[in-house]
This record gives sequence, structure tokens and C-alpha cells, in this order.
Amino acid sequence: MNNKQLSIVLVGIIGSIAVGFLTLLFQIPLKVTIKKRITDYEAEIEAGNIVIDDGSKKKTSVESVTIEGNFEKFDGQPGETTSEWPRFRGADFSNIAKEDVALAESWQSGGPPVLWGPVKLGEGHSGPAIWKGRVFIMDYDEEKQGDALRCFSMSDGKEIWRRWYKNPIKRNHGVSRTIPAITEKYTVSMGPQCHVMCVDTETGEFLWGIDSIEEYGSVTPLWYTGQCPLIEDNIAVLAPCGSSLMIGVDCATGDVMWQTPNVDKWKMSHSSIIPMTLQGKKMYVYCSMNGVFAVSAELEDRGKLLWKSHLWAHSVTSPSPIQIDEERLFLTVGYGGGSMMMKVTRQGEEFVPEVLFELTKKVFSCEQQTPLFYQDHLFAVLPKDAAALRGQFACMDTDGELVWTSGKTERFGLGPFLMADDKIFILNDNGELTLIKASLDGYQRLAQAQVLEGHDAWAPMALVDGKLLLRDSKQLICLDVSRL
Amino acid sequence: MADLKGPDKSNRFEFIKQGVSRVIALGLGMLGGFTAFASRRSNTVWQIDPSKCVQCEHCSTDCVVSPSAVKCVQSYPVCGYCQLCFGYFQPNAPELTAAAENQLCPTDAIERIFVDDPYWEYNIEEDKCIGCAKCVQACEMFGNASFYLQVRHDVCVNCNNCSIAMQCPSDAWERVPADDPYILKHIPRQTAGLRIAPPQFHV
Repeated sequence: MNNKQLSIVLVGIIGSIAVGFLTLLFQIPLKVTIKKRITDYEAEIEAGNIVIDDGSKKKTSVESVTIEGNFEKFDGQPGETTSEWPRFRGADFSNIAKEDVALAESWQSGGPPVLWGPVKLGEGHSGPAIWKGRVFIMDYDEEKQGDALRCFSMSDGKEIWRRWYKNPIKRNHGVSRTIPAITEKYTVSMGPQCHVMCVDTETGEFLWGIDSIEEYGSVTPLWYTGQCPLIEDNIAVLAPCGSSLMIGVDCATGDVMWQTPNVDKWKMSHSSIIPMTLQGKKMYVYCSMNGVFAVSAELEDRGKLLWKSHLWAHSVTSPSPIQIDEERLFLTVGYGGGSMMMKVTRQGEEFVPEVLFELTKKVFSCEQQTPLFYQDHLFAVLPKDAAALRGQFACMDTDGELVWTSGKTERFGLGPFLMADDKIFILNDNGELTLIKASLDGYQRLAQAQVLEGHDAWAPMALVDGKLLLRDSKQLICLDVSRL
Repeated sequence: MADLKGPDKSNRFEFIKQGVSRVIALGLGMLGGFTAFASRRSNTVWQIDPSKCVQCEHCSTDCVVSPSAVKCVQSYPVCGYCQLCFGYFQPNAPELTAAAENQLCPTDAIERIFVDDPYWEYNIEEDKCIGCAKCVQACEMFGNASFYLQVRHDVCVNCNNCSIAMQCPSDAWERVPADDPYILKHIPRQTAGLRIAPPQFHV
């Protein structure tokens, strides 16, 4: 055998080995058997860790609640304020502070100065109301298992008094989520399970209470009540949506002055009653789960159902209705529901609602917060299911045409927004506060800072005398946002 | 004058010796390389990174296994146990019951169990799940994002030529160690070199 023949033999051997390896490498399916399961339900059920229940069993019994409850006095003293934020969305329900206080256009790197706080709160999303140097907030005391109406000093955040009643409930994406209504004499709160409490604003003395479930057959909305009470002319206006759609209660006596029958058995939503004057008639407008309706707010026929429409029915409705002009109102929801512009016409004594246009979730809607209405335009954070516009802050005209959005690099969550001094504060879920210019020309960010630890900073904010109150799920702070 | 001597036997022996040595060395090298490669392959499997998944539905349509080896899984520490679960119910479901018209899942693969007022538990029946991610998308948008997709390795055939991975528009598919084959939302990954899942809050 010569060298040439040997070379051929060696190349042949090498080739055979290579082919063998390549065959092994690429042709034999490599079986990796992993039997591990993430959760073995059968084993868990057998072990008793998962209990099969179809929900038909009787649920946890609800203990009868004594709303008067307990009163505690602390050493806080009322501060001084020159204006008020007495309820949900402020004095005129616009969520726009009208006071003449110039606000800072830029902040230090750490954000606006913290005047006081953080004040520890029970997990929830209830926002503050401000009245004559006092801050009122509906809270849940997790240790005592009680709904607590708490009054703090606006000057230093120290607690002045607390009235609470035992109401053992479990957290469900937080507990409390309503804002009390405050007047000179009366403060009315609504607890997570529809317990209404009226107390003396200054002293916290208990005046009366209503258990809406027991007395009106209300059904607590999913994740607990979000309806913020309303006081007008010393009458507490509430929408129990049980045996009555809406009621008016004399704050002084607790007597029910008027009530609107609930013939359609519409249910309570997370929305709040908003007074409007449409077609020259003052009315209380409320979005129930099954439809939107209006009740007369005028003395001669207060409580009379003026109109209703089942065309605005959503399983979850958090935003409240917004009056656009003398005949139009704007409605919006999240969870895919979109928005609707509605017109109310008057035909003699009859009021007739009609739908002017509807908008899909990808055009304009808002999930938890009620949009701002400013210079004939609506402003809101768009929901997560708004496709490319998800989470963007947007401005839209009243014909349903988007004017601008904040852009893909400026997105927000479910948190609140508030306008003052031609600026808009936007709080993100994680406690990041953004200040933008209130403008029809476009989105212009002025400042941004992490002011709370987060998470779930969803409660509406309040602003008085250049002092901004805001919270995340567990703590409340007061910032000086004025021009220093 | 021509050289009449035959081939140099010592040179031929050296040639054979060197040749055999080279063949053995090459063979050992290839064997080593193959062993290392095969070992590496055998120690990793495909998995979906939930933080990158965009719920495009390719996982339900492109798997060689039918129904897909990709299934929805539930992260119980992340779940809010809501009565109204947006991953379970159709938007604006007429009633919050398990009736078919109320359910978002096209295959009735989510089991809804009452726990205690106001909590409900949601379990994935993996034999029914086709990995369509409808529930995942809704849970991400409106809930705590406790539903997410994972390759189920008791179903996956590990064909090494994953047709879903090739279609994934968001690069969510990655190789992970076979002895730690899931990217669980509530458990940070321990394996060096792999991304640590971000901590999730418990609501």
C-alpha cells in the first residue's frame, strides 16, 4: 500500500467517524423529559389545600354594624386654609383648583418640598377632603378591623380626631375608596360596605348612620364602594341603588326627605352623583351599573326621576359623568367600554336622553379617574387597552376628535390627575408625580419627581393654598407646590 | 540512473503512526466537542419569558403538538382573587357565573372556585388550555397579571426546532436550564446568567 492509498483509507476513516458524529448530532431527537408540574391540582385537592366550592354555599355572614362606633381624640390642632376642597373633585366637581395661587413650574430633583407626612393609612384608595384647616379621610384600621373617618390638621398632619366603627372585612385591592363630603356643620362618609355616617364637622360627634345594605338592600360593588357622598342644602344625596335609586337625607336629623324608587333594580357602581343643570333643570346624575339616570334636584319635585338610559351599562363604572354644556354630558369607563356623548332634550315636562356618539376604547376613555373638562376639551389618561395610545395622557375636543396625546415615551397608569394654575398634576401608580402645562397645543412636561413609594397611588388628590395632598395605597403626604 | 530501491519502510511506518495518531486525536476532539454540545443541549430547554410575551397567539397556532405545549399558568401569590376576574369573564359579561357566554376562555380551561367572601380562586385546567393567551392579555391589562404563558415540559417534545420560537415577535423565547425549566413570576430565578424575574406585588 503506498502513501496515496493510505491517505485514501485515512480520509475514509475520518469521514466515516465525522458522518457518524454528525448523524448523532443532528438526527437523533434529543429527548429531555421533565415531569415537573407547576401545580398539581389533584394532589392539592387531595391534600385539602384547594377546596372545590361552586360559590353557592352561604358566604361569610355579615355582622351587624353599629355605625356610631367609637370616638378618639388626639392632640392635633386645625390649621388655617383660605379655600376649601370639600368633597370629591372639589367644590364645583371640576377637579380644577380655582384659587389664585401661583404654582411652581419646576421642582428640585427630589420633587416639591414635603410639608408633612407620610401619614400611615390603612391600605386603600380614598382621597382627602379639606375644610378650614382640617383634612378628612375615610380609612380602614386594619388592627381594629374598623372603618375610620379620620380628621387631621392641615398644618402638620397630626390627627385631631377619629370616629370608627367595627366592620371586619378583607382587603380586596385595598379597602376604603371614597371621599367624605364636608360642610360647615356636617361631614358625611360612605364606608366600603355602604355604611353612611354623618358627624359634626368640627367635633366628630355622631349624628346619624345608614346601613345601606340592611335598610335599602344595596349590593356592595366589586372591590367595595367607590361612591362619594354629596351634601347640598344640608341634604345628603346618596344612591343606594337598592329599594331606592337615590335618596335625600336631612343632615341634621337623619330623616329621609325624598327617595326615588328603583323600579328597574339598577345596581350601585363606583361612580358618584354629580349635580348638573341640563335644559334649565337642576338634576342629580348618576351612572349605575345598569344605566345612567337623572333625578330632579329642584325643590318642587326633588327626587323625581327625570330621565334614564340603559344604553350606558357596564359591569364596572368608576368615572363620574361630566357636564359639557346645557344639554350634553360625557360618560366614560375602562375595561373596554369606551365613551359616550349624550344629549338631553326637553319635550314639555319630559326629558329625553339620546346618544350623540360613542367612542371605542382605542380613541378615548378612562378607567378609574373622571376626565378633566377645561376650555371645552377633555383630558384623561387613556386605558391599558387603548392599543398604541395605552397609558398616554390625551386631550380631546367635544366632537370626539383627539387633539394631542403625550406620546409613547410618556405613559401613565390608573392614578389621579388634577388641574390648577393652568397646570396639570398627574400621579402615576408608582408614586411618580408629573407636572404638565394645561394647554390645547400639546403635551409639555414641566417637572417630574418620585414623591411616594407607591404602589397603587390611585386616590384622587386635593389642593388648597398651593398645598397638594396625595397618597399611595398606604400613606398620605402634603407637598408645597406653590411658587416659592 | 533510476533509484531502484523500494519505498522507505521507516518513512511509511512514521506516516501510518502519525496518521493514526491524528485520526484518534481528531476523533477524541470531535467526541469531546459532541459530548460538550450534547451535554449543553440536553441541559437546556425552551421557555417563555413572561415579561417579554405580548400574547400574539402564535403559541396556540404554531406548536407541533396539538393542542399546544404552551399553557397558561396561574401565579397565586400575584393573583387578586377577584370576584370579577377579567381573565375569566368576557367584557361586560351578563352575569358573573360560569355559563359559557360569560367566559373569555374559548375552551373552558379556567376553573373558578369560591374561597371566602370576597375571594375567588382561578385554576388553569391544563388539559383544556390551548395557549391562546386571551386570559393572559386581559389579566395583564386589567388585573395583577397573574396569568402568563409557559412551555409545559410534560407536554413539549423538545424537538430542538421550536416552530413557535421562530415565530415569536417579541423574542420572548429563551433557553433555560432543564433542571429549572420554568420562569415563574413569583420566584426569582437562581440560575446564574439568566435574568432575575422582577419582584411582583401581592394584592
